[in-house]
Amino acid sequence: MTEIIIEILRLTIIVGIIFAGILVILIWINDQTKKISYLRLFIQIVSVPVIFLGLIIGPFGLPQFPPVGNAPRDAVVGTNIFGAPFPDGLSVPVLACYYPSGRTVTCPIWQIQAYIFPFWNTGLGFGWGVYYTTHGLERLAIVFGLVIVMAIVLGRFFCGWICPFGLYMDLMTRLRKTFKKRYWKLSEGVNTGLRQLRYVIIAAFLILSFVFGSQAIIGLQLVPGTQSGEYVYDYFSAPFCQVCPMKPLCVLVESASGFMDPASVFSQNTGLLYEAGYYVTSLNVAVLALVTIGAFAFRRFWCRICPLGGLISLFNRFPPFKWFSVVRLNKIEEKCTKCGICKRVCPPQVTEVYEEKGGDVTSSGCILCFRCVEMCPYEGCLEIRVAGKPIYKSRNWLEGLE
Amino acid sequence: MITAGIDMGTQSVKVAILKDGEILSSGFTFCGFKPKEAAEQAFKEALRKANLSFDNVEHVTATGAGADKAINFDSTISMMGADAQAGAYFFPSARTIIDVGAEEARAVSCDENGNMLNFVLNSRCAAGAGTFIEAMARALEVKLEELGPLSLKAEKASPINASCVIFAESDVVSLIHRQESKPEIARAIYDAMADRISSMVRRLGIKPHVALIGGVAKDVGFVTSLKRKLGTELLIPKEPVFGGSVGAALTAAKRIG
Amino acid sequence: MATEFEGKIKSTPEMSPKEIEEMRSTMESVSRKVIAENIERMKKTWPNRPKTMQYFDEISNFFGKRLEEIRAQKEADKKIIGYSCMFAPIELILAADAIPVRIDSGWYDAAKLGDTIVAVEVCPVIRSTIGTQMVNLSPYLELSDAIIISLTCDGRTKLSEILRDDKTVWTMCPPRMKDSPHSRKLWVEEVKAIKEKIEDLTGTEITRKRLRSAIELTQRASKAFRRFQKIRKGNPVIMGRDAMLVNQTSMWDDIKRWTQKTEELCDELKNRIAQKKWACPPDTPRVMVTGTPMIWPDSWKIPNLIEEANPQGVLVVDELCSGDRLLYDPVGVDEWTMSDMMDAVAERYLLASTCPCFTSEHGNDDRINWLLDRIKEYRVDGVIYYVLRGCILYAMEYARIKRILESIDVPVYYLDTEYTREDVGQMKTRVEAFLEMLETRVAL
Repeated sequence: MTEIIIEILRLTIIVGIIFAGILVILIWINDQTKKISYLRLFIQIVSVPVIFLGLIIGPFGLPQFPPVGNAPRDAVVGTNIFGAPFPDGLSVPVLACYYPSGRTVTCPIWQIQAYIFPFWNTGLGFGWGVYYTTHGLERLAIVFGLVIVMAIVLGRFFCGWICPFGLYMDLMTRLRKTFKKRYWKLSEGVNTGLRQLRYVIIAAFLILSFVFGSQAIIGLQLVPGTQSGEYVYDYFSAPFCQVCPMKPLCVLVESASGFMDPASVFSQNTGLLYEAGYYVTSLNVAVLALVTIGAFAFRRFWCRICPLGGLISLFNRFPPFKWFSVVRLNKIEEKCTKCGICKRVCPPQVTEVYEEKGGDVTSSGCILCFRCVEMCPYEGCLEIRVAGKPIYKSRNWLEGLE
Repeated sequence: MITAGIDMGTQSVKVAILKDGEILSSGFTFCGFKPKEAAEQAFKEALRKANLSFDNVEHVTATGAGADKAINFDSTISMMGADAQAGAYFFPSARTIIDVGAEEARAVSCDENGNMLNFVLNSRCAAGAGTFIEAMARALEVKLEELGPLSLKAEKASPINASCVIFAESDVVSLIHRQESKPEIARAIYDAMADRISSMVRRLGIKPHVALIGGVAKDVGFVTSLKRKLGTELLIPKEPVFGGSVGAALTAAKRIG
Repeated sequence: MATEFEGKIKSTPEMSPKEIEEMRSTMESVSRKVIAENIERMKKTWPNRPKTMQYFDEISNFFGKRLEEIRAQKEADKKIIGYSCMFAPIELILAADAIPVRIDSGWYDAAKLGDTIVAVEVCPVIRSTIGTQMVNLSPYLELSDAIIISLTCDGRTKLSEILRDDKTVWTMCPPRMKDSPHSRKLWVEEVKAIKEKIEDLTGTEITRKRLRSAIELTQRASKAFRRFQKIRKGNPVIMGRDAMLVNQTSMWDDIKRWTQKTEELCDELKNRIAQKKWACPPDTPRVMVTGTPMIWPDSWKIPNLIEEANPQGVLVVDELCSGDRLLYDPVGVDEWTMSDMMDAVAERYLLASTCPCFTSEHGNDDRINWLLDRIKEYRVDGVIYYVLRGCILYAMEYARIKRILESIDVPVYYLDTEYTREDVGQMKTRVEAFLEMLETRVAL
């Protein structure tokens, strides 16, 4: 009994600290051009342990307090939903990598690829002897359903406020600012091209997942090595994860902080140069290095090409999903002087907020970081609307100057 | 309730005295160099005709170009405001009032209560006002009051350039030398002026019905040309030259009540 | 061949120093009289003027305290950079430790002198500026070490040539369609070019630190400017002419001190609002003026008429590049790096401008949005569309703007005038009739 009370107390304290932090930021910071940015940074930092590392929910499989029994996380995540244990963690529409130990939340990109592959496998979960009774189709539906609902309702708000990889890139930007270096810009044509490329990437990994799992799905090896136990089967069944920059970042961070055993991590790879592996491949690391440099030079570099962002956009930007989208960026035409500040300060270099005359100006590249609203110096011009109601409007930030 | 309106025009002063919405009397004097004296004289004349003394008058409103040089006035109103009041008073269905005076022409839109809704003026040039006709009459060596009937005899108009009184005058002289008929020249003069005034009115927008007041409204030649150019009938009061002063007197009445 | 004549044959004829001095001193004494008279008239309409207005009255005198200050600074080797129009980057001038002054002329008599050089159809402001240059009437123009002219209209394009006969003139060319990325790029390059010129002239490098303090200075000026404007949204606690004077003095005053004094004025006005001490009755017709610039002192002709008319009107807001547009748009800096600051400064001048010299695929929608927003926020009863004869840009926008304003039931009157005192009578007739109209509408 007392242990449950302790758990509840722990939860309350953590929630209380978070609220206190939010209040402190909202009240203490007078500079209107920085307030929301700091708030967002705080939420991003808080999201990492709370959601991602399972601070509240606890790591996979390990009981928090042995006398109590299984961690509350297992109670939540391992629970029967629709009559069967919920597979592989909660899918959240951010880059929350599946691979490190933890697995409270899971990247939907992995889940989609994985479930295409053992789509036809009945019963067996993906490794670790966990048996799920839901079938491939049901699992896919549950995953997709959850992600779609979150994508429709909150859209790329996850990208701006919760995604840990977004935090990583924002920290790179802050690092660059301390060196007083200017940022680079991609030309509008290239930026738009990258946005379209996202959908191509999604299509590519879906097709590759199918190809690599063809043996299990249709009983035919389209590509050698895709038999159970063979090279491709073992290491490439989730093709996107071999190039994703989030995987090595998570693995490195968790290895360094002791949540994962470094020895076991680096033993699960083939060859001297880690060409392929469960946890980290050389390709991964190369992409991470590239994206890190990109994030230093450009702002929110990965977001322009992130397929998960593309996936969310698919369910947010186009009708009929658009009609149910809850968080929207809105512009009041007469207040806008076309001063161009919104376009200039936008990290992923979205231009729709400037080009569109008025009304709903949310776009598929927008990560809803609210920077444009924060920096717009005309009262009531840009506003964030939740379910049609403005919750945050641009204001004359000159008044906050000392 | 007895009120009076003084219209301090550029050429003449007109006074009208109203009692309870009826015109009692009017007075008229040419200004010359002494507008104040002219105003006094016109006022005295109007009072005499109405058998009243100055103390009987409860409120005097002045209007016109020289309104602030009037005497014994309690308030002022712009010519445009006076025109609107006068037009609606004489013709309750009038919504566009044109006032052509000696040196200025105006057009005013009003509502049924005589409130001025919009106005337009001629562009600071006397070629669209009474002095133009006077100059042309001189050039044709015809008496001012005969020019109008003369023009009605013409079937067409000779071409003249009316962008400026001076140019028009020399145009007329050369037309006479070419032995163009005087009626045709007269008609051309009126057509040119009506042209200027109708384009001014069109800038305002013509809303029926259209009334015409001001001294020039008595000139039958001008009225015919204007009707033709505007393409509408014109409602003209019996004594159009007192339009401004009647309007001012009506305003005075409103200001007491 | 043409270069043979450059520098030798000027646009303006040779005048003897005696002639120049005679004309100049006559015009100066007329100007002093007009300045004093305008201030008297403002005081007469509003006997209870706030104390702080005295400061602005002093600064409004072109031949007084501010001139002495600038002269003293020039002796101390500081550079004076004059500018025409509104696109010269003040922040760069301040960052190089130079003094910015606007040299567009508001003197009627000088326009008559300008008539002898260029046709009378040319914009009166341009003619007047030429006239002041001929006789050294404007002390700020005379003291300028360089002049930045923005080639926004035809008049200014040729003015730059005429002024170049006697002064160092730098030109900046804002692109007429300012929306496209290549226009932005062009303008940023223009600003960078001017930066180098300013650095060469002053011998001071515009470092990141200096530019940052200059931007922070103008941001605070914008803050005070906006605070002042916000006060005019409510019942009239300040008369329009006085507000216009406050706005205009920012064009040549010391920016830091101007900011401080404007904040003081706002504090005084705030007290008056609490005490309900209105400058004129709250139901006075609220008038907005939009159009060509009205530059102190002679161009107070129309505002004088509006606020002294019977019935009285009050100017609550204007859309003038000599008025409520001056400091309204702030420089919005994202990261205080040199490149972002330069981008921010360049964009602030180009993109937010509502001048009709710009167009886009949607016309000059910036100006229309500005007007519509102000009409709503300031509860404007009527709009006076003020055009100095010769300005084709403002004149041509009238047709559409008139229809738009009529469709939202706001009366608008086209008032075209010149740099002359002779049409005051005619202007008075028109202004008074318009105000009568507004008064009737307000009462209804």
